[in-house]
Amino acid sequence: MRFLREELHTLTGAYALDALDSAERDRFSRHLQRCQACANEVRGLQATATKLGTAVAAVPPAYLRERVLAAVASTRQLPPETEQLPVRRSLRLSRASGSRRPGTARDGWFPRPAALLAAAAVGVAVVLGVTQTVTVRELGHARAQTQAVETVLSAPDARLLTRSTSNGGRATVVVSESRHALVLTTSGLPALPAAKVYEVWFMAPGVARPAGLLPSPSAGQTAPLLAEGLAAGDRIGVTVEPAGGTARPTTPPILLMSLPA
Amino acid sequence: MRHVARGDEAAFEAVYDQLSRPVYGLIRKVLRDPAQSDEVTQEVMLEVWRTASRFDAAKGSAITWVMTMAHRRAIDRVRSASAQALREQKAGPMYAGSSEEVVEAVEARMDAERVRRCLDSLTELQRESIGLAYYGGYTYQQVAGLLDSALGTVKTRIRDGLIRMRDCMGVS
Repeated sequence: MRFLREELHTLTGAYALDALDSAERDRFSRHLQRCQACANEVRGLQATATKLGTAVAAVPPAYLRERVLAAVASTRQLPPETEQLPVRRSLRLSRASGSRRPGTARDGWFPRPAALLAAAAVGVAVVLGVTQTVTVRELGHARAQTQAVETVLSAPDARLLTRSTSNGGRATVVVSESRHALVLTTSGLPALPAAKVYEVWFMAPGVARPAGLLPSPSAGQTAPLLAEGLAAGDRIGVTVEPAGGTARPTTPPILLMSLPA
Repeated sequence: MRHVARGDEAAFEAVYDQLSRPVYGLIRKVLRDPAQSDEVTQEVMLEVWRTASRFDAAKGSAITWVMTMAHRRAIDRVRSASAQALREQKAGPMYAGSSEEVVEAVEARMDAERVRRCLDSLTELQRESIGLAYYGGYTYQQVAGLLDSALGTVKTRIRDGLIRMRDCMGVS
């Protein structure tokens, strides 16, 4: 296994030069999702390749400028990627073997917790923004909440972890030990009856502390949940509980993840 | 790029003027065929406009984003079967247009000199592997075949060589 990983690691150079065939490229793209060191190295090597590219700059024919500007005038732009939560992305990439969309520069452009989560934070703001019934005070609270989420996402020690849940969903956590907090999003969790809720826990040996309730999902995803009060050695758990939540877990966790130091 | 993402066409013109030469030069170097190079350059610049909102400065510079896209588009062309046939027909000396048409940009020349100096510091196998992969658009398997070297050797020479280039050029 270790040998295999080192083998893969040496592909950073060939990947940065687009010198992999499509099967190997897909395999390596998936590896990059898990290997932060590889992703960092690829970034530096892509910047180096860029120098090789600019070294052969040449003046394009003048008519090209007119053509491009004319095309721009009649081409609609993509909206910012607010839906691009980390969970969705990793799911899509893992499904995408052999089906890389041609012509996109997305692979090779890796999510970093801070940037991803900035997107997640925007998601929070959007969700809150369309809720018609919120009062002004709630909005103020929501804004403070969004800021708190951003604080976690932009923490220098923020790390991104994803795990499958036992009931077929996927959880993505950005955790910052220095902020004693984490931000949790999920996708694909089965919907619960109205009388039930997913509750999040900080779990230490023999004790579980409530860390919040997952909001109800929209389009299969839950908006980022900020959980504060993380202590060293805590694991993260999620259980199904009666609506409103409970003081301690009453069902086996559908997710139990440790946070490697 | 932020302004471009908001639909600012003047900002896009500035980006075009700044990036079209490296983009076109690279695509031309890989594809050689002027008509295809025009097409792919147009596609890439339009893609920059279309997807500007997806650019994230935290992940690298704008020029790296655009050049990575340009190289990949050129490679997609090279690897598609029809282009392959066309390319084989037209293989030969690189098209040399009029001096006005193919002029190296002044600021690029300094970069180019540094690139050449750094390339010179590589071993021959490193330099050839990188050149064939990046400018030639070959997979490392094809490079190994062309250089009559073992696959693993070419793979590691590409990586060592690029790392050496990176350090030589002071890329962070």
